[in-house]
Amino acid sequence: MPSSVHSQEHDQSMVDAEPEIDPVMLDEKRVVVLPGSSETAASFQFEGEGHTMGNALRYAIMKNPAVEFCGYTIPHPSDAKMHLRIQTTDSTTAVEALEKGFSDLMDLCDVVSEKFTAARDQFNEESSNRMQS
Amino acid sequence: MSREAYQVPAMGGQNAFADSGFSAMAVDNPAVNYLCGECNARVPLKRGDPIRCKDCGHRVLYKERTKRMVQFEAR
Amino acid sequence: MAPLVPSQEELQRRRIIDINAETVTNIPSTDFPGHWPGESHGWALDKFKEGFKVEYHRNDPHEASFSLIGLDAAVANAFRRVLMAEIPTLAIEYVFVHNNTSVIQDEVLAQRLGLIPLKGNVDGINWMRWYRKPSEDEDSTEEDGPSDFNTVVMHLDVECTKNPNAHPDEQDPRILYNNAHVYARDLTFSPVGRQDQYFVGDGAIRPVNPDILIAKMRPGQKIEMELHCVKGIGADHAKFSPVATATYRLMPDIKIQRPIIGDDAKKFAKCFPKGVIALEPVTAEEASQKGSGYEGHAGEQKAVVRDAFNDTVSRECLRHEEFQGKVKLGRIRDHFIFNVESTGQFESDALFLEAIKVLKLKCTRWKRGLSDLMA
Repeated sequence: MPSSVHSQEHDQSMVDAEPEIDPVMLDEKRVVVLPGSSETAASFQFEGEGHTMGNALRYAIMKNPAVEFCGYTIPHPSDAKMHLRIQTTDSTTAVEALEKGFSDLMDLCDVVSEKFTAARDQFNEESSNRMQS
Repeated sequence: MSREAYQVPAMGGQNAFADSGFSAMAVDNPAVNYLCGECNARVPLKRGDPIRCKDCGHRVLYKERTKRMVQFEAR
Repeated sequence: MAPLVPSQEELQRRRIIDINAETVTNIPSTDFPGHWPGESHGWALDKFKEGFKVEYHRNDPHEASFSLIGLDAAVANAFRRVLMAEIPTLAIEYVFVHNNTSVIQDEVLAQRLGLIPLKGNVDGINWMRWYRKPSEDEDSTEEDGPSDFNTVVMHLDVECTKNPNAHPDEQDPRILYNNAHVYARDLTFSPVGRQDQYFVGDGAIRPVNPDILIAKMRPGQKIEMELHCVKGIGADHAKFSPVATATYRLMPDIKIQRPIIGDDAKKFAKCFPKGVIALEPVTAEEASQKGSGYEGHAGEQKAVVRDAFNDTVSRECLRHEEFQGKVKLGRIRDHFIFNVESTGQFESDALFLEAIKVLKLKCTRWKRGLSDLMA
């Protein structure tokens, strides 16, 4: 619905303000442990997450030999919530496995970034050489 | 409610026509501008005037677009 | 006990997803610890580094194509999804209509304007913050609402008039009138605050394509509006998506298991897109080899796979009687051919790097959030 904006309090004139810390950084989304968890078996609920993080994280955690089971689900498509189930052996805990999953995924990102940049630079160089010759 | 008793609703305590050159409340017989559907001429009409273009006699008149700013979300 | 190492043959078999006439088999990845008895598949960064490869095929500002090899589908898909829905861009969000006497309705026009891709100085766009709606409650102390670091102001002020110089017989409204067509190039940028430090010269905020038709008018009609552009992500609205398309496909794999010779070879090549299958003469050496299937066919044409990259995996060749059992189709599980088509705000290759950064940032934030979990 359009709304009329013509009174003083809706004035759209700009003010010069100091930028603060990224607001998205500020309202940190929440992660909770669902009831019924133990040290080695827990379900986590991530708010505002979907398949993007869910599946990639599941992969990273399943790559951990101390993890017996890992799976994720989005219980209802209208709720922006992702559930992640981790069951581990006695040598670690579910929370530790989750932390390791994040770390491994971050390491993976670094490698992809590094190799991608190298391949792109090499390609750009080769194609500029081709243009010159 | 009879047609004569109708009052133009005041917007946000302000006179809705205050900034558009009309003096709707001051005069009790305000002239409102319409546009002719045939020749696009401006036709000022008062209450009780025949609905008819003064130039071409066409009987279909249109209201002018609001002079107010309208806000939309580009979605 | 040292972990078992499977043979190269076995590893190659695991890398291929089989595409049969009616079914697809060997679909899920099996490179997880505990799946194959005795084998080690635990996460090892150095092993990943060793096996991971990037091949570049094309790098244009508006389109890039590259292969990521040695990656799991879960990760490749995460990159693709981030690319489409989670990289922030600038788009028109609020439209203040002062006047619009054109035939296109205000709300329709506003929606059209929102979809116009904008570009400008990348540092400036990165410097910009999210716009937060002013909160409803009066006693909120936070500074919300438009500012130079979260809103870019543009104007669209056009009026259509008659062109007195037009030939009397002229039929084209674009010549007959001035501003009969309103294009994206008619949008004007009005820098506010510190924006003139970033968005100057070539870095000014402007539409990527100046020729986008926004509205049509006739003499006497007028459009006057103020447009506020803010940063947003594709998950919120598609107009914020930095890519037109971001897709991947798996590298096709064609294996000719038994010789296809002569007219059959020609027919076989026709089952595939041009350049995928080539015809080569059977060499004398091959023909002399017993049990190769080439005996006595020296000099005839045989079908060979030249470039599987361009194959569409249509399975046409599997429909013909004469190729039964001679060919095996598949796709390589960990070879992703990405195609990223930017809408122009960022360059396509920069977008992919941005996607990696966003995914990593998400991991960092969630990991940091875990400390609350312990408390």
